[in-house]
Amino acid sequence: MVFSSLTFIYLFLPLALLFHYITPNKFFRNISLTAFSLAFYAWEEPMWIYLMIFTAIFDYYMALLIERWSGNRKAKIIMLITILVNLSLLIFYKYGGFLYDNLSAIAQLPFDRPKNSLPVGISFYTFMVISYIVDVYRGQLKAQKNPLNFLMFISLFQHLVAGPIVRYSQIGEQVDSRTIDWSRFSAGISRFCLGLFKKILIANVAGALVTKYLDAGFNDLSTIEAWFGITMFSVQLYFDFSGYSDMAIGLAKMFGFDFDENFKHPYAAQSVGDFYRRWHISLGKFFRDYVYIPMGGNRKLQLRNIMVVWLLTGIWHGASWNFALWGFYFGSFMIIEKLLENFLKKLPRFLRHTYTLILIIFSRAIFYFVDFSQLKIFVGHLFYSKNPVGAGFTTDLLEHLFWFVLVVLFCIPWDEIYPSDTKVSLDVSRYYQTMKPAINIVMLFLATMLLVNSSYNPFLYTRF
Amino acid sequence: MANKINSILFLIALVGMYCFYLFLPPQFVSEGEKRKLAEFPKLTYKSYLNGSWAHSMDDFIDDHFPFRDKFISMADIFHASKGIHLRHQEKIFIGKKDKQFKPNEEDTNHVKMNFKDDFDEAYSGSLLILDGSVYPVGGGSPRMSKYFSAMLNEYASKLSGKGRVFSVVAPLSSAFIPVLKYRKFNKQNKETLLAIKSSLANGAIFCDVFNELDKHGNEKMYFSTDHHWNATGAYYAYVAFCRGAGILPVELNKMEKKIKYNFLGSLYQLTRDPSVKANPDTLVYYVPMVTTTAVRFNENNFEKPIKASVFSHNSSGGNTYLTFLGGDAPLMKITTSVKNGKKAAIVKNSMGNAFCVYLISHYEEIYVIDFRYSNHNLIDLIEKNKINDLIFALGMYGAMSNGTINMMRRLAVNNGVPKYVPPVVASDTNKIVLPVIDTIKIE
Repeated sequence: MVFSSLTFIYLFLPLALLFHYITPNKFFRNISLTAFSLAFYAWEEPMWIYLMIFTAIFDYYMALLIERWSGNRKAKIIMLITILVNLSLLIFYKYGGFLYDNLSAIAQLPFDRPKNSLPVGISFYTFMVISYIVDVYRGQLKAQKNPLNFLMFISLFQHLVAGPIVRYSQIGEQVDSRTIDWSRFSAGISRFCLGLFKKILIANVAGALVTKYLDAGFNDLSTIEAWFGITMFSVQLYFDFSGYSDMAIGLAKMFGFDFDENFKHPYAAQSVGDFYRRWHISLGKFFRDYVYIPMGGNRKLQLRNIMVVWLLTGIWHGASWNFALWGFYFGSFMIIEKLLENFLKKLPRFLRHTYTLILIIFSRAIFYFVDFSQLKIFVGHLFYSKNPVGAGFTTDLLEHLFWFVLVVLFCIPWDEIYPSDTKVSLDVSRYYQTMKPAINIVMLFLATMLLVNSSYNPFLYTRF
Repeated sequence: MANKINSILFLIALVGMYCFYLFLPPQFVSEGEKRKLAEFPKLTYKSYLNGSWAHSMDDFIDDHFPFRDKFISMADIFHASKGIHLRHQEKIFIGKKDKQFKPNEEDTNHVKMNFKDDFDEAYSGSLLILDGSVYPVGGGSPRMSKYFSAMLNEYASKLSGKGRVFSVVAPLSSAFIPVLKYRKFNKQNKETLLAIKSSLANGAIFCDVFNELDKHGNEKMYFSTDHHWNATGAYYAYVAFCRGAGILPVELNKMEKKIKYNFLGSLYQLTRDPSVKANPDTLVYYVPMVTTTAVRFNENNFEKPIKASVFSHNSSGGNTYLTFLGGDAPLMKITTSVKNGKKAAIVKNSMGNAFCVYLISHYEEIYVIDFRYSNHNLIDLIEKNKINDLIFALGMYGAMSNGTINMMRRLAVNNGVPKYVPPVVASDTNKIVLPVIDTIKIE
C-alpha cells in the first residue's frame, strides 16, 4: 500500500486512527499500531512479512545479548554477526540477481539466478536495525526490552515503505510512551496534506512528462527536449520522494512520533557537498555515522572515505551499475570540490548554484537510464542532437506554464531566505495558522480529485 | 483553536467520504467510460497471498469512490488550468496502458472472450492533437500487410469457384492531415495498403480505398474526436469497392441525408483535451432508399435472433457512431428489398459499420460478421447460404495486428465454441510480430 492512494487515505488511515485513539491505554495503542503496520505491509505482498518479523525478532534478541555482554569481546562478535546477517539478507534479496549476472559473466556458477522479488522496504528497515545494533553496542542506547515495542519500531507503517531511515535514538522514548495533543495532531495533518499535494500534483504531473519525453520519444529527442525531459525527472524524483517523506513525517506526528527532516530544499544547494546535506538526509547521516566516521572521516584518507560513501550511497539506490556510476559521479565532484574549495568559495552565489544545479540535473540521467547504451545515446542528445524539436513541445511548455511557476516556488528555500524571526516569516506564519484548515482541505481535495481521475479508464465501445 | 478546526475538518473529510459511500446509491457501470465498475473482490487464500485481492480491492475503492464522475470532470478543469491553451495548437498525447480486458490464457471455461477493440489491440503509437482534431499517427507497415494478405489468400483459395473475396482496408486518418509536414504519413499509409495488393493471390480482389479517399483528401472524411471514418470517408471506400466488384455506386444525392450534432467520440474520451472538447463532430449520414429488415445473433449460434436495424437513428452523444448498424454484433443478417439474387458476407471491425450500410443497395442478403466476437463458422455460413461475395472491411488497426488477423483466420474453422487464440508467431523470426505503427516525430 502507498500513502498516495484512496485505499490508504479513506480506508486505512481512518481505521488506524480510530483504533489508536479509541483508548488511552498505551499497551493497546501499541498493539493496534503494530497490527495496522503489519496489515499495511502485507497489503500487496503478504509473504515478505515473515522476513520483516524474522529481522525484528532476531535483532531484538541480538541487541539484548550485546547489552548483556557490553564491554566484552563477545558483544563485538555478536554485533558483527548481526550486521552480517542483516546485510546478507539485504544483499541476497536486493543484489542477488545483480551479483549473479556479474559473476556469471566471469565464471560458470553452480546455481541458478535468484528469482525472488525485492521485499518492500528492506533497504530502509535493514539500515534501521543496523543503526540500532551499533548504537546499543556503543552504549549510546539501551536495548528495547519489550519485543512488541521493538516490532512496532521496525514495522511502523509511517516509515516502512519509503523511509526516512528512522533511528531508534530518535523515537525510542516515543515507542514506549508518547503524548499527543491537538497541536501535534494538527501539524501532522498539515504535513501529510503538503506531502500528498507534492506527490500527486507535482511529482505525478512531472512523471507524465517524463514518460512522454524519456520513454516514448527517447530516440528522437532534440537537445532542448532532452534537457526538458531530464529536468522533469529531477522534479519528479524530488517531489515524489520528499512528498512521501512529508507524508511519513506528518503521519508520524498524527500518531505521536517525531521523525527528523529528510529533505531541505536540495535544489537550492550551492555545492555537491551542500546537496548531500540536503538530499535524503537520513541516508546521508547513516553513512556519515556508520561508515564515513568509522573509516576515519576527515582525519584520515578523507578523499577515499568520501568516494566509498558515495559509491555505497549510489548502490543503495538500486542493484545496477548505473547507480554505482551515479555515486562515483557525485563522489568525484565532491572530491574536486574539496580540492578547489578556496576557488569555489570566491565564485558568486548565483554561479555556484547554477553549477550545482546543472550537475544534479545531469546526474539524473545516470539515475534514470539503467541501460548504459541508452544512457550513452541520451547523454549524446544532451550535448548535441540533430533531431528537430518535436511537434507539441511548445504546446507542452505553454500548457504547464503555471505549473512550472508552482514547481519553482516549491523549490525555493523560503525558510532560509526569511528565517523564522523575520517580520515576513512571522506575518506569513500568523496568516498560515488562520488559513491552514482551508489550505489543507483544498490540498486534500485536489489530490483526491486527481487520484480518482487516475482510475478513469475509458473504453471505445460499451463493455457493460 | 485553529489546530482543533484543522484536525476536525480533516477527520470529517475522511469519514464523510465513507458515509457518502454507504448512503449514496451504488453504481455498477460508468456510462462515460463505457465499462462495468469493479466488483467487490472475493477473498480467497490464494488471491490474498499473491496480492491480487489487494489490487482488486484498490480497483473497487477507486471505482466506487463517492462523486467519482464529478471528481473526474473537475480534474479536467485542473489540467486545463496548469497553463495556457491556445486554440490552434499541436500536441502529442500518449495514452496510458490499459490494464483490463486481456484474454485470459489460463481460463478455459470462460464463455465470452473479452478481446479488446481493434484500436486498442493494434494501435501502439501516439496521438496527434491538431487544432482540436485527434489523429492516430503513423501508417502501418508493408511487412504486416503480407500477413493480412496471406489470410485473405487462404479464404480465396477455399472459396475458389464459389465466391469472390475483397479487401477493403481503411487508412489511418493521419494519411489526410491537412498540414504539409505530416505528408509522410500519406506516403506511409499508401505503401502499406498497396503492399496488401501486391501480396494478394488466388483471385482475391483489392479495392483501392486509399486512392479513392486520397482523391478527396481536402474533404472531411474522418471524425475529429473519434477513431472512425465518417459517412463521407466510408462512402468513398464504398465507391472503391464498387469499382473492384464491377458495380455502379449509388450517388449520395439519391439517398436520404440526415444530420446529428455534438458527437464527442472515443479519441476525446481518451485524451480529454479541452481543444478537442471545443470541437465536437457533426455526423452527416446517408440512408439508401432500400427497405431492410435485420436480426442479430449471439456469438455461438443462430438461435434466438434479436431484432436489429441497419441504422440506429436514436444514437447520440458519445454513442453517435452506433448510428451505423446499431453498433457491433457477432453476427447480423440484413435482408433487403433488392431482388437480384446476390448475397454478401462482410467480415469487419467497427470501421466496417459505416461502410456496410451502403451495400444494402446491391445485395438481397448481407451477413455482417464481427471477427472479434463471432464464433460462427464463416465457410459453413457462405456455403449454406450460397453467398457470392466475401468482403473484409476493416480499419488499418485490425489489418496490422497478428491478434486480429488470427481472429479472422479462425472464422474459417470455428465450431461455435469460444476459445483463447494466442497471437501468430512469425515463421521467419520465431518472435511475435508486433504491429509497426510508429510514434510521431515530425521533420
